Amino acid sequence: MLAYIVRRVWQMVPTLFGVMLLLFVLFNWVGGDPSYILAGKNLSAEALAGIRQQLGLDLPLPQQFLIFVRQVLTLDFGTSWSTQQPVSALLHSRIGPSLLLTGSILLLGTVLAIGIAALVAYLRGSVTDRLVTLIATCAMSVSALVYIIAGQYWLAFKGGWFPIMGWSDSTLDNLLHYLPLPLLLGVIVGLAPDIRFYRSCFVEELGHDYVRTARAKGLSEPVIMLKHVLRNAMIPVVTSLMMSLPYLMMGAMLLETFFGIPGMGKEVVMAVERSDFPVIKAITIYIALATMLFNLLTDIVYKLIDPRVQLH
Amino acid sequence: MPHTSTTPPAAQHHHNSLTRIGWRRLRRDRIGFAALCIVGAYLLLALAAWSGLVASHWQDEVAHPYAPPTLFAGTAPHHLELDAADIDAADRRATSAAALDSSGATGLSADEDPLAADLAAAQQQSAQYRSTGQARADSLPLGADQRGRDVLQKLLQGSATSLQVGITGALLALAIGTVLGALSGYFGGLLDDLLMWGYSVFTSVPDMLLLLAFAAVSGRGIGTVVLVMAFTSWTGTFRLMRAEFLKHKGREYVRAADAIGAGHGRRMFHHILPNVGHLLLVQFSMLTVALIKYEAILSFLGFGVGVTQVSWGAMLAEAPAELLQGYWWQMLAVTLCMSLLVTAFSLLADSLRDALDPKVK
Amino acid sequence: MKPHALLATLAALVLLPAQAADMNKVLRVALNAPETGFDPAKVSDLYSSTVTENIFDPLVTYDYLARPAKLIPNTVSALPTISADGKVYTFRLKPGIHFAADPAFKGKKRELTAADYAYSIKRHLDPSIHSPWSFLVDGRFVGGNELVKAAGKGALNYDAPLEGIKVLDRYTLQLTLTATNFNYLPILAMPAFGAVAREVIEANRDNTNAHPVGTGPYLLKEWKPGSRIVLEANPGFRKLVFNATPGNDPVDKAVVQALQGKTLPQVGRIEISVIEEEQPLWLSFLNRQLDVSGIPQAALQSALVIDPKNPLKVRLAEQYARQGIQLQRQLLPEVTFHFFNMQDPVVGGDSKDKIALRRAIAMSFPVSEAIASIRRGQAVPMNYIVPPGVAGHNPAFRGAPKYDPAAANALLDRFGYRVGADGYRTRPDGKPLAIELACGTSSTDKQWNEYWQKTFDTLKIRLGFRQGKWNELSKANHQGKLQMWGMAWGADYPDGENFMQLLYGRNAGDSNAADFKNADYDRLFEASLKLPHGAERSQLYDAMNKIVVAQQPWIFGDIRMRSTLAHSYVKGLKLHPLLNTSWRYLDLQK
Repeated sequence: MLAYIVRRVWQMVPTLFGVMLLLFVLFNWVGGDPSYILAGKNLSAEALAGIRQQLGLDLPLPQQFLIFVRQVLTLDFGTSWSTQQPVSALLHSRIGPSLLLTGSILLLGTVLAIGIAALVAYLRGSVTDRLVTLIATCAMSVSALVYIIAGQYWLAFKGGWFPIMGWSDSTLDNLLHYLPLPLLLGVIVGLAPDIRFYRSCFVEELGHDYVRTARAKGLSEPVIMLKHVLRNAMIPVVTSLMMSLPYLMMGAMLLETFFGIPGMGKEVVMAVERSDFPVIKAITIYIALATMLFNLLTDIVYKLIDPRVQLH
Repeated sequence: MPHTSTTPPAAQHHHNSLTRIGWRRLRRDRIGFAALCIVGAYLLLALAAWSGLVASHWQDEVAHPYAPPTLFAGTAPHHLELDAADIDAADRRATSAAALDSSGATGLSADEDPLAADLAAAQQQSAQYRSTGQARADSLPLGADQRGRDVLQKLLQGSATSLQVGITGALLALAIGTVLGALSGYFGGLLDDLLMWGYSVFTSVPDMLLLLAFAAVSGRGIGTVVLVMAFTSWTGTFRLMRAEFLKHKGREYVRAADAIGAGHGRRMFHHILPNVGHLLLVQFSMLTVALIKYEAILSFLGFGVGVTQVSWGAMLAEAPAELLQGYWWQMLAVTLCMSLLVTAFSLLADSLRDALDPKVK
Repeated sequence: MKPHALLATLAALVLLPAQAADMNKVLRVALNAPETGFDPAKVSDLYSSTVTENIFDPLVTYDYLARPAKLIPNTVSALPTISADGKVYTFRLKPGIHFAADPAFKGKKRELTAADYAYSIKRHLDPSIHSPWSFLVDGRFVGGNELVKAAGKGALNYDAPLEGIKVLDRYTLQLTLTATNFNYLPILAMPAFGAVAREVIEANRDNTNAHPVGTGPYLLKEWKPGSRIVLEANPGFRKLVFNATPGNDPVDKAVVQALQGKTLPQVGRIEISVIEEEQPLWLSFLNRQLDVSGIPQAALQSALVIDPKNPLKVRLAEQYARQGIQLQRQLLPEVTFHFFNMQDPVVGGDSKDKIALRRAIAMSFPVSEAIASIRRGQAVPMNYIVPPGVAGHNPAFRGAPKYDPAAANALLDRFGYRVGADGYRTRPDGKPLAIELACGTSSTDKQWNEYWQKTFDTLKIRLGFRQGKWNELSKANHQGKLQMWGMAWGADYPDGENFMQLLYGRNAGDSNAADFKNADYDRLFEASLKLPHGAERSQLYDAMNKIVVAQQPWIFGDIRMRSTLAHSYVKGLKLHPLLNTSWRYLDLQK
């Protein structure tokens, strides 16, 4: 196990390198030229050339890449091209709100989804099961956009139960005031597909022979469910959780935009729009590192759950 | 003796009979069958729209802007239609009035215009191009949008586009993810490392970036949307298939197949794949559903289909502005339409899974 | 010198800081696009300018109430004296104006001097700063070009003597222009030319955008880039008492009634949010989470009662009027237009068949229909390069061709753009004709695109769209790769020259986006530079407009009518054509 972990940590280096390469190629190929934005109304050739030089864009590509490497090693991405704010300060202020939002959505959403899914899998075939499945299926057919727009209009504006938008500096204020509506909408959007998927995982496990064996041995359904089925079904569940992280970024972006939450999702969009390479670099590298760590954690958890799994 | 599954599932030797068994089971499942019919109906309608049999003139402005649905004509908010001619007339009045007080030039005179003679001649020859405006309806079955286009026709045409985008994208994503995931989970070792490297690299780059990159390279439009969605969605299937192949590889029936001399390819796609097929089906339905909805968000961000095409996403993109003014019919129509299809698709997938599950006797 | 200094000190002591603005009065407003930063020599976008305008003081500013806009002294004691040849401007500053406190001043009160303005103007010349406003100062001051050349690629030598920007004494600044220009003063009224302190800039060299320190009524308290900006009243701001006599305008009367005799600013704190989506912005305003706001396009229908026969005549909807919400409207000093790349082989050039192609397209674009639908009638068609409200505008001139797609089709027939078997026209030489229009990706762009599609479909010309972000398209246009694109240009200063230069041959590749090069136009333009605003110059402008209308490098678009709403408790609001905000003149009486 330890050897496996060490090997995987060692593998992060080429992954990081791959990300940097992909990012670098992508940006220099299709990323747009920030000097045009910074030049404003003054588009003379000298002004543009001067800006490019200041941003280091006139250096040969391999040299730019080496500078990039150094930045990653020191985790110092310099200053944002559009606002001149140090990138690390920018991201530190953005990560908090994003984590609070997506973290709470993930937590609440997963707990609810697993709970409901386990319940209906247990009651499989019954009217409750079919009803819940049907409702979930219908609910998830509606676009996230519709939920957000309608939710903000009816619950916040017409109903007055939540503030329409905003974010404050105090976490407590956010938890009580500004988080509930986006949290609610975020959970609703993700709940239905999760319930369906987890349910199918549980049902699949329930169909396995060892379950029949356990029943034949005389174990009660709840015990079978909790002790055996859940554990084995965790692999696709955990996989699905990992799968959902990239989509969370996207969904959070919509929530952040509509509710004025100063998070990472919105920052990425703005940075790409302004071709603000330092910010894009920094966000991507941080996400890359986080994803790699999560992947490693997931695989370790596989091994712990299912002894049959051979980790190479 | 407990019955353990050492023998490979029936699927391997009796492909036909499993399909037949599955079909029979599906027919018996009333909800599943109904779902199948609904999906089939959508596909037929989409085909009709795509081939031009239906809704080919969806772009025609046949009604007044924001004309309400016929049944609700009385209760819908009234849209004040402004006339271009009035604006033009007001503008002319203003410049004529100003001309009375000023001594400056009032415009380009005939001798200053290089095209004066040609324009005069063109005026005389323009009769063939003059068209009388067509009458505009006051209400339509499902109402009209901002330009006065029929929501019903847009819906039909849009379903063709959205289905095309969703299904193609899902199939592509599934194919990529499955093949790569199978290779990765089954062989492990260096191949696994390489593919995991690709996977990690891909999932680390924010979707936005990938979206913009592809759009910039291959332009915008349906093709790009499909490619973009496939290239950003294969990772989920990859991860799932890798985990499943990893899991199944160690199982007894696979070892048994090895013992009887089955090669790697056969073991992967003949033995393991059918056992995970039902998961793939669920994946496919989730992906199609997700991609159809993803297309809506892409359209909202400006990546969707161009102005010469319409999709559900493009119609939804008009929703925020419409709702703010109280015009609810386009959004409701799209939501219901999409909802019905997606629900039917999901239920169908459920029933298929149940019907095809080899362990359910 | 000594008695003068003594007097100045006494004056400074007497001019005690104004009674502090009320910190309990909090003005909440929103920007609908993100700002960039607050260094006046580095930012040019409208959103950043709303903030820099309130932190920094330019030499002169505009009278709040006077229309048309009138320049008045800001930090100077009187408008500058201009020499007879129109080249030398002499400014005398008011003593006793201080910068807001900052650690760079080492605990001392820092007075505003002429040297600060010299430094601030020179910064726009500095090649290492790349000011987006350098086109307003390059080559304008005597000795400026030499100083810039001496700097090479590095920083300007601010201590070297410069004849064109000279400090005569502590409070006297003298600017010597290279060419006669009686209209240079409005440029100095821009927030970009507000005074910055050299110590602060040098202490924050890497991050001047986040450390704006000026002599203006507000200072920067808090900044979350792209999200939230908080300004607080500058406690050291000089005493500024509102004093005006209103005319007959009811808005003026209301402003005077609210502010007469009061010290400005009244509002102690301004909270600015960045809200890009229309729904949250509008709902926030209706919910009283914002005090002042524009009206998003989607809300125009519900907020205004529009007279269908005369859409510019509007009333506030009953439900909002009842709440006491105030509506003010103003035609923006801007123009919007679409241009052809005049160097493009298909659409550019001055041969008659190319002119005919451009003219046909211009005749087929339904400007009035687009105004009716997309702008909801809240715009006027553009008829002249210089818009209304800007010196040099000619309201009698009709520059846009009459909308007549049938005649346009016949015109194309005449010039050999035959319709082929596939239903689309070909070029006169038989080669296929396809035109590409560059556009943005927002939903408003999509609405415009639908009209363009209709235009080209009516003309039976194949149309392709090239979608991209603004900076990508700008770069492509610079490289001559675009065929058609749309632009808007807002007045930097209220003079027609700011607009006529958009088609000047020498600006091709810069602000002349269409790359239009016409010898007659250029000759007329250069002659117009020597004249002050008046009948003679207007004649030249008319001639230039005629050339443009004839050659059709531009398809004239429209000019927007800005609507602003404010809740009943907001007093003192009057929209100004050139000032970005009215915040220092507002009072909140809740």
